[in-house]
Amino acid sequence: MACCDGFRYFVPLHLANDLLMTDTASSGSDDTIVRVRGLTTVLNGKTIFDSLDLDIPRGKITAIMGPSGTGKTTLLKHITGQMRGDRGEVRVDGENVPDLSREHLFRLRERVGYLFQNSALLTDFDVFENVAFPLRQHTKLPEVLIRNIVLTKLQAVGLRGAARLMPTELSGGMARRVALARAIVFDPALILYDEPFVGLDPIALNQVLKLIRTLNQTLGITSILVAHELAAVQHIADHVFLIANGKVVAQGDAATLATDGSPWTRQFFGGEADGPVPFQYPAGDYATALGFPGGSL
Amino acid sequence: MNARMDRGGVVTQSLAQIGACGLFLLTLLAAVPRSFRYFRETLRQIWFVGAMSLTIVMTCGLFVGMVLGLQLYDVLSIFGGTSATGTVVAIAIYRELGPVVTALLFAGRAGTSITAEIGLMRATDQLDAMEMMAVDPIAYVAAPRFLAGVVALPLLGVVFCAMGVFGGHLVGVTWLGIDNGTFWSNMTATVDVHKDIINGVLLKSIAFGIVVSLIAVYQGYTTPPTSEGVAYATTRTVVASSIAILALDFVLTSFLI
Repeated sequence: MACCDGFRYFVPLHLANDLLMTDTASSGSDDTIVRVRGLTTVLNGKTIFDSLDLDIPRGKITAIMGPSGTGKTTLLKHITGQMRGDRGEVRVDGENVPDLSREHLFRLRERVGYLFQNSALLTDFDVFENVAFPLRQHTKLPEVLIRNIVLTKLQAVGLRGAARLMPTELSGGMARRVALARAIVFDPALILYDEPFVGLDPIALNQVLKLIRTLNQTLGITSILVAHELAAVQHIADHVFLIANGKVVAQGDAATLATDGSPWTRQFFGGEADGPVPFQYPAGDYATALGFPGGSL
Repeated sequence: MNARMDRGGVVTQSLAQIGACGLFLLTLLAAVPRSFRYFRETLRQIWFVGAMSLTIVMTCGLFVGMVLGLQLYDVLSIFGGTSATGTVVAIAIYRELGPVVTALLFAGRAGTSITAEIGLMRATDQLDAMEMMAVDPIAYVAAPRFLAGVVALPLLGVVFCAMGVFGGHLVGVTWLGIDNGTFWSNMTATVDVHKDIINGVLLKSIAFGIVVSLIAVYQGYTTPPTSEGVAYATTRTVVASSIAILALDFVLTSFLI
């Protein structure tokens, strides 16, 4: 918890929100922050989502899991409006994202944090300026306040001392934490994490896990994370969606899903090579490919 | 038949690229007013693509002027007209070599760096991250670099021309002994400010600045997010810019002459 002390005592949250003119508490009393209905997306002839329905509860940590290539990151991109489906609704805080104009979409994104898999820090700027970037772009706060907000966020992720380092001087775990500090600089209502645990050593992984949980508990931020690490997901996720073949094939809390007897959960959580998700990518006859006469072994 | 279809495909693809580039220009122009918010970024880019290109532009300008002076002195001496060396050096540089060579150097030095920088930002998700932070990357990244190119290239063209004439003077007057007064008086009597300087150096340089900057920014912005994609985009910037400069030079000259 020590890592996040800055949140509690440096700038009172309500004051920071008033100054930043953001809507951290999230409008409305609806328990669902993201509602997906009938989402159908076809990319290069491949159906990614086939009338997908999904409800992400407000104030919880929700994990999206599934085999590689099932569209987990694509789903995050639909939620943020980076991609639009062929049919269906993606409502974030009541607003249907595909219908939003660019201006409205940008306004929505000011309330949404996004942690990229590769951190996506701006390489021209040092750590401090990376975290300050959204503040400088969207507010006219005095320099001293920007400094204090940035240092608070960096303190929360344990990197206040690294404020003047350049992104090239950071390890993978540190870069991920800087990106996290940048994602929360506006105290967003919703944070999306795209594979936040990939490539982290156990220490960094635990730090990131702790941060996600603390942000959720301290600030009430809704978190959606795409991840493959079952142990980590079991540790922090309140709810898990298992996506495959363009649909939600299982959902519930991580512990229940892990012991669930359906073929999907058995294969995915049990790590079985074959099952509903084939091990082999679709291909022609193996014997023919190897040149055996008659086409069979 | 297949070869013909391949050629057809290449032509269609090239036309599609030109069309997409045109649409990108419209998007870019629409973003220019918004990019005035990032005036400091535009100034930083002018420094980067303009001031940082000065060394190569000045050096090349000097040598182009020197070699031109040498060649013209050699040819004109056959007709006993070496006193016209300054005039011909100036007109050749102002009308053609100044804007064209500066634009080619600019494409090689600044155009490639713009493409590579934006391409790497694309490959490392920095442009997507800006989008996610509700910052328009066209206004913040593309437009300042485009404007910087349009502003910097005419200024570099003027510097190139000045260095070229100085190089011609260095060879003609200092080395080969043409009379200093004759060199300058013939030049000032013949060179026309409107036809040679404004139409020759400035107008052409502005047109080349628009084309080269557009190609560099477009190639970077639309590059596939891979190391190979960035490498190809950088190469395409040089090739497409060089062809566009020379073709546009012919078109402009035919209207201006």
